Amino acid sequence: MRINVIKAYLKKEFIDLIRNKMIILTYLIPAMILILFGFGIKMEVTHARTVIIDNDHSKLSLEIINKFSHTKYFDVKVENLNYKEALHKLQTNKADMIIIIPPSFSKNLYKGAQIGVYIDGSFPLRAITLQGYVEKVLINGFNIKLPIKIENRNFFNESMRDYNAIVPGLFGLIFLVVPASLAAIMIVKEKEVGTIFNFYSAPITKIEFIISKLIPPFLFHSVNIFILLILALYLFDVPFRGNLFIFWVASEIYILISVGIGLLVSVITSTQIAALVLSVIITVIPGFLYSGILMPISSMGKESLIEAHIFPVMYYNHLVYDSFLVGEGFKSGGNILYFLILCGYALGVILVGTFFVKKAIK
Amino acid sequence: MKMNAILKKEFLVFFRNIGLVVFILYAFTLDIYIAGKGIKVTPRNVPVGYVNEADNLVVNKIISSFHKPEFKKSKMFLNEKALKEAIYNKKIMVGIVFNKRFVNNLISKKQAKLQVLVDSTAAAQAEVTLIYLQNILMKFGNNLKLPAKIDIIKLFNPNSNTKWFMSLSELMSNITMLGLVLIAVVFVREKENGTWDIMLLMPVKGSLIIFSKILSQVLILMVGITISIGLIVFGTFDTPINGNLFYFYLISFLFAFAIGGIALVIASVSKTVLEVGHLTIVIMLPLIFLSGAWTPLSSMSPFIQYLSYLSPLRYYIQATQDIFFRGSGFIDLLPYFGAELLMALILFYIGYRKIGRLF
Repeated sequence: MRINVIKAYLKKEFIDLIRNKMIILTYLIPAMILILFGFGIKMEVTHARTVIIDNDHSKLSLEIINKFSHTKYFDVKVENLNYKEALHKLQTNKADMIIIIPPSFSKNLYKGAQIGVYIDGSFPLRAITLQGYVEKVLINGFNIKLPIKIENRNFFNESMRDYNAIVPGLFGLIFLVVPASLAAIMIVKEKEVGTIFNFYSAPITKIEFIISKLIPPFLFHSVNIFILLILALYLFDVPFRGNLFIFWVASEIYILISVGIGLLVSVITSTQIAALVLSVIITVIPGFLYSGILMPISSMGKESLIEAHIFPVMYYNHLVYDSFLVGEGFKSGGNILYFLILCGYALGVILVGTFFVKKAIK
Repeated sequence: MKMNAILKKEFLVFFRNIGLVVFILYAFTLDIYIAGKGIKVTPRNVPVGYVNEADNLVVNKIISSFHKPEFKKSKMFLNEKALKEAIYNKKIMVGIVFNKRFVNNLISKKQAKLQVLVDSTAAAQAEVTLIYLQNILMKFGNNLKLPAKIDIIKLFNPNSNTKWFMSLSELMSNITMLGLVLIAVVFVREKENGTWDIMLLMPVKGSLIIFSKILSQVLILMVGITISIGLIVFGTFDTPINGNLFYFYLISFLFAFAIGGIALVIASVSKTVLEVGHLTIVIMLPLIFLSGAWTPLSSMSPFIQYLSYLSPLRYYIQATQDIFFRGSGFIDLLPYFGAELLMALILFYIGYRKIGRLF
């Protein structure tokens, strides 16, 4: 390994990236994803468009309507429709939920009174959540004491903020997708344009080539760790309870894995478009699925649990969530194990990639 | 005739790139299968742990009512400390402490308070899990009689089958991604290789070249959609369709053109495939995740809701869900068709002005 050769090649790469204006996008994309997704993805269900049809006009029915109006979960409209018109509202997506209070409802209490709730079920999570909210509000409206009351103490995300749940999870997604696609495209571009022959014929070794190709995306994205951290802490007010050093080192290793995946992609593709599509396909879905944003890893079924262990995002996000919300650090054995797995993963990906890069025409 | 020649050329270029053909087949089949099967947003297999300080039969009865598919087999812990440790290591999501006071109150028919420790990292999941818990616990204690029956009907997808919803969402996301990339690259590759000027010098009108180039990729997408709908959506997941499948094809076709318009604008401002790649990611991600493909629009902040009116995907998603689940008719779908068409026309005009002339 000759430092001078690497230096020269690196200089060329940096000039290339800056000339391409790629550097703007390298810093724009991750911040943009974090901001847009952080504000955009909402797992909690609020402001469901609710139409209440009150055929009873009694004190109780008014009270029920009042109870629904006074939460952030429902945007209540009281309308006078028949069943068919109400159904049409659901069918044309003008309402998410219809509640029908039948005539003489309050007279028939305890004598077979029935209240009808129709929920648009096309979003399964929303439907189940709404069902739970409706039951809660109605039982509250009937003024009944439940036999068992749940007193829940929430850990890690005490106030159940959506931001705390989603923003840390995005780190694993962003640092998997963006460095991988950048690294893959930077290498495959030379193949497509034909300048890869410079590498074949010049007195530069394979390892020197790989080092100088992977260092620019790695360095650029190392800065991104802190940009994203600052956004998470100050824009989204996510608490940071763990060790900054562990978080930083784990992120650097994770970016190394990501550029390693980019290297692997560049081995099997020969056009930039194929490299881009492949690197996005193999990183976005697992990055999103196994990030813990949509569902906690511990509540996965057997098949998905095995798949989750194949991809690096699960290990990294466990450490990220720990750094932000839990704060156990290396006191917990699980964290040390996951950290070591990340190190091994990085080493493995880069070694395999290096093995398959050939300094010759196929 | 001239159009046929261009279409033929584009198909030839497409099928020569075997790797790309394989990825696209993957994106339309296996990828959608994995997403449909793998992503379950409603809580499943929640790991429960409990501490039994009271040692009463009632506790065992309550615990045995946590069952599949919502809950994993519950684990017993010796004391609260061990339970907390398991929660900190993320092995347990819900921890329940049954103390003596709870059991005494329950037996003497007073309101019993149950201590529940929840890992609420995933806030929405935790909330739904608590709802499950409350529903299970309603059955215990003094015989609860509600003054009125609460009759909740979930229309269109009564069992909350997430496969139907997820596979369609994934399909629409993939159409968006592939549409943007394929169509933009069709132009930019020629720009990068320097053959674009030659294309424009041919004795064919520039607008015809652009239109047929886009049409070629739209047709490829339509074939992919057909494969996906046939094999995965209907074939594997048995998704019901309450509306007319023809309307779905119509809206897909129009949507592909609207996406083609965006891709044309991308192609007109970028010089290399690399730039296309990055611009596509910048445009694609907000398009997919803020148009309501994965999380309901009505819960997003109002600003994003207004912004999403600019996204062709928003109309496509709503129309698709209307057709598959809500069973809307042609008249109700007209605004969506109109919106897609309008967007396609405007974007085509902008893109054509920029890319359709020499030098």
